[in-house]
Amino acid sequence: MEPEGIALPMTVFERKDSGERAVFEGIMTGCQSRVLRVALRLLHHPQDAQDAAQEVFLRLYRHLGRIDRERGYEAWLFRVTVNVCRDIARRRRRSVALDEVSEPPSPRPDAYDAAARAQQREMVRRGLGRLGEKERAALVLRDLEGLPTREVARILGSSENTVRSQISTARLKLRDFANSGRTRS
Amino acid sequence: MNCAKWEAEIALYAGGDLPARRVAPLENHLAVCARCRALLQDLRAGQALLAELRDDPLPPAMLARVRANVLAEVGAPRPSRPYWKLAPAAALALALATALLSPRHRAVEPPQPTPAAPVRMAEARPAEVVPVRHRALRRHRRPPAAKSGPPLLVQFVTDDPNIVIYWLVDQKPEGD
Repeated sequence: MEPEGIALPMTVFERKDSGERAVFEGIMTGCQSRVLRVALRLLHHPQDAQDAAQEVFLRLYRHLGRIDRERGYEAWLFRVTVNVCRDIARRRRRSVALDEVSEPPSPRPDAYDAAARAQQREMVRRGLGRLGEKERAALVLRDLEGLPTREVARILGSSENTVRSQISTARLKLRDFANSGRTRS
Repeated sequence: MNCAKWEAEIALYAGGDLPARRVAPLENHLAVCARCRALLQDLRAGQALLAELRDDPLPPAMLARVRANVLAEVGAPRPSRPYWKLAPAAALALALATALLSPRHRAVEPPQPTPAAPVRMAEARPAEVVPVRHRALRRHRRPPAAKSGPPLLVQFVTDDPNIVIYWLVDQKPEGD
């Protein structure tokens, strides 16, 4: 069963009469975490992710009146996030080598109590950085953000079959990467 | 048994992405293949780890920075500001300019030297002429020095070029 897309606070999108600025701030409040998290997973660099998230919301502000509300802000935001991250990665030519993958800071140290679990998670995180650009984008949107395959295809401008193929390849690569880490350690 | 052809299907099945019509054949294969069941187990473990990554909280400072930077950027006045929003400021500026340029507030200019009424020497009445001329000239004289300076020479001109009246005025120091 394909999981439902994560519910966004859609009410903020319906406040048509409360002013452009208020609508914009409402969208930012509701979606900021998701945009920043996707940017972090795609870029694997906190500063780049921050720059990307800022750029995404500035574009949202500029295009607010022209976004097709029928298609929803969510798809628009993810599509722009993927594009902005792609641009930043290419511009800075930041290849995500194994040693460069930075650990996102976490204020929940209790989540890492089990050392083995922590190691596995770290392997997955690093494995994400080793995926190709399109495979990573598809996997982040599908498995981390929980968007339906159809939505992922729309965001990435691909067919559902292509996205399924990318997701399948990415999952198998992650599994191989995790296994190779286990055999090394 | 060639399991390689099933791997891609199992990867989709692990995340619930396998189209319904392809599920039954795969499940039939999984029922008889321990290796593929192990692969499915690995992939499901990977899915669980990815789900945990999704729950990683973001640093609040980073979220706050993004928000502050964006709001600072969009906070600047937009170029397409409606003209009517400027109306109050324009009206105020206009009223101020009108008030300042009105004759009442215009800087006092020295009157043109109005010739005194033609007088004959015998009928000249300096007492009537002097106060007017004296005030006009005193407004434009230089500020008096702290010490008393030389006497001020006031010249009265009349219509008759042969008649000129001179008046010496003592200058007093400031504070008098």
